[in-house]
Amino acid sequence: GLRRCLISMDIHHIEEAFQEIKKTIQAKDTFQNVTILSTSETLHSIKPLDVCCMTKNLLAFYVDKVFKDHRELNPQILRKISSIANSFLYMQKALQQCQEQMQCHCRDEATNATRIIHDNYDQLEVRSAAIKSLGELDVFLAWIDKNHQGTSA
Amino acid sequence: RAVLCISGGLPKPTNITFLSINMRNILQWSPPEGLQGAEVTYTVQYFIYGQKKWLNKSECRNINRTCCDLSVETSDYEHQYYAKVKAIWETNCSKWVETGRFYPFLETQIGPPGIALSTDEKSISIVLTAPEKWKRNPEDSSVSMQQIYSNLKYNVSIYNTKSNKTWSQCVTNHTLVLGWLEPDTLYCVHVLSLAPGPPRLAQPSEKQCVRTLKDQTSALK
Repeated sequence: GLRRCLISMDIHHIEEAFQEIKKTIQAKDTFQNVTILSTSETLHSIKPLDVCCMTKNLLAFYVDKVFKDHRELNPQILRKISSIANSFLYMQKALQQCQEQMQCHCRDEATNATRIIHDNYDQLEVRSAAIKSLGELDVFLAWIDKNHQGTSA
Repeated sequence: RAVLCISGGLPKPTNITFLSINMRNILQWSPPEGLQGAEVTYTVQYFIYGQKKWLNKSECRNINRTCCDLSVETSDYEHQYYAKVKAIWETNCSKWVETGRFYPFLETQIGPPGIALSTDEKSISIVLTAPEKWKRNPEDSSVSMQQIYSNLKYNVSIYNTKSNKTWSQCVTNHTLVLGWLEPDTLYCVHVLSLAPGPPRLAQPSEKQCVRTLKDQTSALK
């Protein structure tokens, strides 16, 4: 069976959507001395076996927390964020099938790494945490690209 | 020794950005406007995203040039960074001007691969060698950009100088044989490296040309 559950979708249009708003979003993040995802010990230490669970957890983190907590006045940025959010919902559905086939098992490593990310988020005021997490979407997307290579175009 | 100066007494440098090719990361900027002829110097600092404080780059303190090599300081390409520069002239200095967040893994330009061509009558063999990551010392062991981007791709463009036609192919492996070519014809090739992630600038290779051999069968008649 699959060692990990791969997402069969094209990450590039999400990357391009984010690329267009990245500078604006990151410029709003004024806490340069704090990161949410970027502690390289967190994401980069994830083993192939834990990729599916970690992907599922991070998609949920963005869909259920970040996109909801973020307030955006600029309609163009809002449109891009909505497009990214919809893509994440699609990816969640794709991973759901793995869940049903029990190929998305969550070991302690992925659970602990997810908790670190949520703890980092909760240490900041919610709007600042949301804008910082959005600013770090390129880290998450690069991690997905690297770990779900088998399927991206 | 830090120079004491009146902050904001000078206009800021402009166009601050990282020029990054194969993980060689050079900070560059333009002089402040309106100070032509003045002996302006610059001081640079950098910041590792998520860390606590700005760090000095001693080799880029009170320098005349408008660039600073931060490759060593930004060599962990999976981290992200900021850099800033200020201008100094006599007892005045500008406020700092800062880059956006710089993420070498996603932003470095991938240099062109090495290209070796060999030919016979109707085909050309192309062997590509992935570009090398910048290294601090020439004697350091080489790291291929392929080791960083395992799904590195190449866009190979081929130009038939006789028919004036160009076509291109996207390949992932390092050897490519172009078949069904015309004998005794000059073909020119150039190659672009493509890394995953959002679109990024890339440097095309030099154009290399090779002539297919004469058709031996017609030569014997």
